[in-house]
Amino acid sequence: MTENKFRCVVTGLGMLNAIGNTVEECWSNAVDGVCGIRETAAVDTEGCYANLAAEVKADDLDKAKHASEMDRVSKLCVKAAGEALRDAGFEITDGNRERVGVIMGSCVGGVISIEDYYRNGESAADVTKMPISAIANMVAEEYGACGVVTNIANACAAGTISIAYACDLIRAGVADAFIAGGADAFASVPYAGFLSLHALDAQPCSPFNRCSGITLGEGSGALVVESYESAVKRGAKIYCEVLGAGISSDAHHITAPRPDGEGQMNAIRRALANSGLEPKDIQYINAHGTGTAKNDEAEFLSLHTIFDESNDDLSVSSTKSMVGHCLGAAGAVEAVFSVKALTENKVPPTVGYREEDMERLAERAGKIDFRPNVARDKKMTNVMSNSFAFGGNNASIIFSREAGNVTLPETREDVYVTGLGVVSPIGNGVENYIAKVAEASLPAEGSVHSEVGHEDYDACGLKMAFYRKLDKFSQLQAVSGMEALKNASLTVSDENATDIGIVVGTSDGPIATVCDFQQDLVRKGNAAGSAFKFPNTVYNAAGGYLSICSGIKGYNVTVTNGMQSGLSGIAYACNIIRAGQENAVLATGTDENGEIITSLYNKLGCVSASAHPAYAGQDGFVLSDGSTTLVLESGKSVAKRGVTPYAKVTGYGMTRADIRFGTVRGSEGAMADAIRLACEDAGISASDIDAVVGFANGMKAFDETEIAAYRAVFGDEKLAAVPIHNVKDLVGESRAAAAALSAGHAALMLAGKLEEVQNAYRYENGAVKAGKVSTAAYRRVLVTSVAAGGSCCAVVLERA
Amino acid sequence: MNANEQKIADRIKELLCENLGIDADVLTDEIALFGDEIGLDSIDSMEIIACIDDEFGVSMTGTGKENFYNVESLAKYVAAHQG
Repeated sequence: MTENKFRCVVTGLGMLNAIGNTVEECWSNAVDGVCGIRETAAVDTEGCYANLAAEVKADDLDKAKHASEMDRVSKLCVKAAGEALRDAGFEITDGNRERVGVIMGSCVGGVISIEDYYRNGESAADVTKMPISAIANMVAEEYGACGVVTNIANACAAGTISIAYACDLIRAGVADAFIAGGADAFASVPYAGFLSLHALDAQPCSPFNRCSGITLGEGSGALVVESYESAVKRGAKIYCEVLGAGISSDAHHITAPRPDGEGQMNAIRRALANSGLEPKDIQYINAHGTGTAKNDEAEFLSLHTIFDESNDDLSVSSTKSMVGHCLGAAGAVEAVFSVKALTENKVPPTVGYREEDMERLAERAGKIDFRPNVARDKKMTNVMSNSFAFGGNNASIIFSREAGNVTLPETREDVYVTGLGVVSPIGNGVENYIAKVAEASLPAEGSVHSEVGHEDYDACGLKMAFYRKLDKFSQLQAVSGMEALKNASLTVSDENATDIGIVVGTSDGPIATVCDFQQDLVRKGNAAGSAFKFPNTVYNAAGGYLSICSGIKGYNVTVTNGMQSGLSGIAYACNIIRAGQENAVLATGTDENGEIITSLYNKLGCVSASAHPAYAGQDGFVLSDGSTTLVLESGKSVAKRGVTPYAKVTGYGMTRADIRFGTVRGSEGAMADAIRLACEDAGISASDIDAVVGFANGMKAFDETEIAAYRAVFGDEKLAAVPIHNVKDLVGESRAAAAALSAGHAALMLAGKLEEVQNAYRYENGAVKAGKVSTAAYRRVLVTSVAAGGSCCAVVLERA
Repeated sequence: MNANEQKIADRIKELLCENLGIDADVLTDEIALFGDEIGLDSIDSMEIIACIDDEFGVSMTGTGKENFYNVESLAKYVAAHQG
């Protein structure tokens, strides 16, 4: 049985969607088979072949504290999170806020604000509402959570992966509780996008029946997931246990699932194995069941293949038939439905079957009960919720009345850096980077960008038929990812494909592509969405393409919470390896800069007119882009392959300062705490740190926050002896790419790959001074990064 | 191709490079669009239909696959159906 310290339980639920504004309302309507799909008035449907949506009808969304600063998606999420906290009787206080986090999934984030931006005079107020990053931050801000705060951007699997990651962090001892789930709002971008792919049904979607397309929904689902020990200590009502999850990638196609169901089955089998269960133990599955022919065919196949042999009493339904496809909220909404099904012993139906459909269903269903139209009472112990997303991302999670058998390795796996890939404005490739560090020149101007071209594609073996489909964001990622694999001498094969994972960290993802797509809609109408561009508007497209071109079939997640995402992605990857989920993970930081991104950052007034070094006391930074990939690998895998690692990753810490989203000042305390946590995780004290690779970018708010945090951790005397290195003096503020590159830079120094004498800063006698230092004796290097919104991450690397 | 068809073909090439990310130095009038090198798929064909409708006012929805074989066949179809 799962040891108490690894048990995670659900203690609170919150939800709103087209059939209700509370969990009880949604559940009661779901049991009654109420369909929330109607003609939409929210988007322009002129000239479009489908005009249906499943929309939320709540009239209290503006009650959130900072509602005027939120996109609709954040308002939906704040409402569901509030219900979940009240339901859990969970009060976030000064005593517990550092142990409470927020992880939210989303597919399209603040696209309504992007539309507003282009229709109504390009207001700066819309810019901070656009990214997915805002969602979890707005929830954390509303309720005062200061633990790990981040967003999962894996399209339609995002809500499920959020819950899985929250539980993994609880099991790792990083937090006591999370508000986890997801949100998405119905808007013109997803509507016109799915329309352009001819993936919308002209009638209400009919999963596992007509299978002629999806109907988009909107909403939010939130769960309070908590360590068993915390719940018991609080005397909380416990709905159920969260057992294991399984996450996989298809390595097949950016929009279509594998017809053979391999990726889906990998996710389902992993979830079962991680729970200590077998197929016969599952009584109900809340299916992905989108209603597209390709999804439903693959899902029929996966379910029959895994469950037919040993399970004679499996019920399956798609609640999307009632609430539509809520995209990034889908997994969260369906997790809440699954928990209700389990605890109420009632299977909600798939609606939309006519009398004449029943014969065909009987043929396709075999012995699985697909629950047409009417709910069924059924005693349940274990239920599963499946989400299979765009980009070929699959996620499966199990909820149970019992503690199951969730196990973690007796001793946690060591994590090494064995490969690096660098795409930056100063050129591509690790050797080039090493040469450019020696030259040590500042970026050319206030806004710079990376280039990838034929030479890079040829070196990575990428063909035009593949790379022509990628936007700049995905191109940067594909090249740095493939470079890193090569640099690690890691060949992906049929034997190891599922043992390798991908964690993409990004601040702004493909927002430029979303803006471009949205501008076309504003100009030409929603019927004119580009089917070519739309797949690239999804944040996890870059991770999906990397899976396709590399053949990687393991864990695949895109994590987004500002600039520090490139470093917190490394922490995420460590967690996956330590838990024994993968032998190797590509941890990346990627962000793109072009005309659109520069104009958005200019609106916020933080782009410098010209280049300047860190600590220059300016009001802006050099906006930049790039992609950095680190191959992280378990000690066992390193030994087996006989490779020489660059460095060892020994600890991480993640915190959030209770400050407003979009700001940085006031983060120094949280940054100091993140550093302390990282040292504790590495089993060292701050005095053991030999050097830092920091996050200063020349903009006062960042630079002063950084120094204040180090002073708090090290004290002025020790700090004077700790050199502070900085990669942004070379590559600019490439956001997540710079955060990951800082870790890469630390690894190169520890491996002795850079010249022994390096530029570095020191803080002494109240001022930061530039100088030269010898890096030869470095054994432990700290890497730090912060996000606007106060999320802080620190990672310790040691000489291998 | 006659002069008119060639003019249409040149414009189609520009549109395909711009909208489908194809490298201009590879895209000839004759190269197979759905072959290994360029590798168009069903999503791309929807995009071609939209582009051609937009640019030339010719609807290719539901027309035979053979018209999409290469730039030349697209240009000939457009030339024959332009009003």
